[in-house]
Amino acid sequence: MTLLLQALINGLMTGALIAVPAIGFSAIFAVLRYPNFAIASYATIGAFAAWWANAVAGLPVVPALAIAFAVTGVVGVVAEETSLKRLRDNGALIVAIASIALNLVLENIIRFIFGNDMKGYDLPLARDLRFGELRIGPQQLQSLALSVAIMAAMFLFLRYTRFGKAMRAVADNPDLARLKGIDPARIAIVTVFLGAGLSGVGGVLIGLDTSIDPLTGYRVLLSVFAAAVLGGLGSIPGAVVGALALGIAEELALIAVPATYRTAVGFVAILIMLTFRPRGILGERAT
Amino acid sequence: MTEFLTDRRTLLGGAAALAGLSALPKLALAQGAPIRIGTLTPLTGSGGPYGPMMVKAVKAVVDEVNAAGGVLGRKVELVSEDDQTNPEAGVRAARKLIDVDKVSAILGTWASSVTTAVAPLCWESKTFLCTTSGADSITALPHQGYLIRTQPTTTLQGRKFGEFAIAQGAKRVFFLSPQTPFAKSQFDNITEAVKKAGGETASLIYDDKKPAYRTEIDEVLRFKPDAIVFGGYTPDTAVMLKDLYRADFKGLKIAFGYSVNQKLIESVPAEVVDKTFMISPSPAEGSKAYEKLVKLVGVASPDPYTTQIYDHINLVLMAIAIAGDASGTAIKDNIRKISQAPGGAKIDSALDGLKAIAAKQAVDYDGASGPCDFTEIGDISDSKFRYEQVQSGKIALVKIA
Repeated sequence: MTLLLQALINGLMTGALIAVPAIGFSAIFAVLRYPNFAIASYATIGAFAAWWANAVAGLPVVPALAIAFAVTGVVGVVAEETSLKRLRDNGALIVAIASIALNLVLENIIRFIFGNDMKGYDLPLARDLRFGELRIGPQQLQSLALSVAIMAAMFLFLRYTRFGKAMRAVADNPDLARLKGIDPARIAIVTVFLGAGLSGVGGVLIGLDTSIDPLTGYRVLLSVFAAAVLGGLGSIPGAVVGALALGIAEELALIAVPATYRTAVGFVAILIMLTFRPRGILGERAT
Repeated sequence: MTEFLTDRRTLLGGAAALAGLSALPKLALAQGAPIRIGTLTPLTGSGGPYGPMMVKAVKAVVDEVNAAGGVLGRKVELVSEDDQTNPEAGVRAARKLIDVDKVSAILGTWASSVTTAVAPLCWESKTFLCTTSGADSITALPHQGYLIRTQPTTTLQGRKFGEFAIAQGAKRVFFLSPQTPFAKSQFDNITEAVKKAGGETASLIYDDKKPAYRTEIDEVLRFKPDAIVFGGYTPDTAVMLKDLYRADFKGLKIAFGYSVNQKLIESVPAEVVDKTFMISPSPAEGSKAYEKLVKLVGVASPDPYTTQIYDHINLVLMAIAIAGDASGTAIKDNIRKISQAPGGAKIDSALDGLKAIAAKQAVDYDGASGPCDFTEIGDISDSKFRYEQVQSGKIALVKIA
């Protein structure tokens, strides 16, 4: 029983970490209609921007997160406007492939700037809190709180701000939105800024728990993609649900199958989902 | 600006000239052509901290040899590629070295997974391969002699890990490793050593691409180990150490020297990694070749892989010299003549070796990584190990044995 509970808790923690970049991925997909695999490098860029803010400039976690969000958002917009934007008319597959290439380029720019070695945030490591047999890390709780706060902010933004409403309008029906006077180009920029920024923040949250290197984002790309597909591509609540489901599935699977197959759980989840419900848990459109 | 117009006459003329060229005897073309040697080291990925220094060592030797007139009167050319510590990228790079650059030998493949993938390309194309990988399976490949390694086998290493854990008073030893070609053999040999002393072992193979291993750690702790052996590389071992610290593990921690290195120690809080022991094949510190290498690369204590690849380039260049031919086959047939000639002059650099070979002396090279004597299948026959411990953020030497 403790075993199950512990795995469940661990899964929630992992899921909450994956949820943040998954929201970014899903938001970009909803508005621009292509899967942007460059979010792996955005996560890495965010992790390094925050590392710089924290370990070099000596800032605490929350300002470092804000810096990571801003830097990654700007990088994402610049990358989008200079390289991916022109390809959008050629269909989602072309842009998706280009985003993989973009990912490699950005990853290697990080290598040029920061080198190839591991870096760790300048934060004390706390022992786990124990509740009877269960272990919970203070750091995990903090990351969980941060990702819940970020998700809440995202929901409020989408629901109550003009840009948020416009984004949802474009996601629902781009042509109608255009007729109503919403400029899709501007919305695209805002979306990419948000999506990339969120991926960057996700990278930081993952880095807080572990250490960072130029492959930090790439390692979680599959999990993020799986979470988005599972929840329904283009659905923001779906991304959250998908991430939590995937996190829990991965941890629970460890009880039954050898740990080597952990990543395979993500693949299997995508496979089952696409077979029986191609639009995902909360997806509305079968795209 | 001249316009390039291709009419039939010039095209035919060109074609005829080409045909004429290829009809010339091959020898005439090869005379004075440079000898090409490739390095295939990890410049990125988990081996990234080692690759650049390895290339630097090889380049230093090549420059030195070229300055003294090259080998067989030919210049030595170095082509360096990055295997990204990834078998797929390694194969791509090896193909380029073999097919495009036509190198005689490839030096320095580091990860066992990369070496396993690259080795068949080498023996099929008769390119000689020198590696620093430790997995037992590598020399068991049907490489027909086109492969030597300077890293002791996992069998030997696993036994040392097990014996060390026992010597430190451990009875329940847990082996924690990602999926590597040497994980199984490492665990089997640890188990053999520990069981002999009446202890127990268990193992867990994890997926090394995860941001956290809390559930894995739970499984480890259920075994109630008093020692944990880490079989992974730097990034995943760092995460494991952190998660073990969080879970309050207070037992003995033993890892490979290449995974718990200065980089890892700097990237985690001091208390996470403090008191961890590291075991690594020891370079022949204090040997003449080692001293020469220190001067060449300007680093006080070069890592084991740099010492090994330094030996690779020296051995290969001398083998070419004694064979009088730079083909991979010539290197294969002659490498043991200069690494372990009975009663040969003790040589510690290619520079001296080339002179001795020119003077028709027998040569026995003793390198920076050790004596460099190879068995029939290309394994190293003897090696020392270095035992180190992290003590308040610094790596302290415990013993070399």
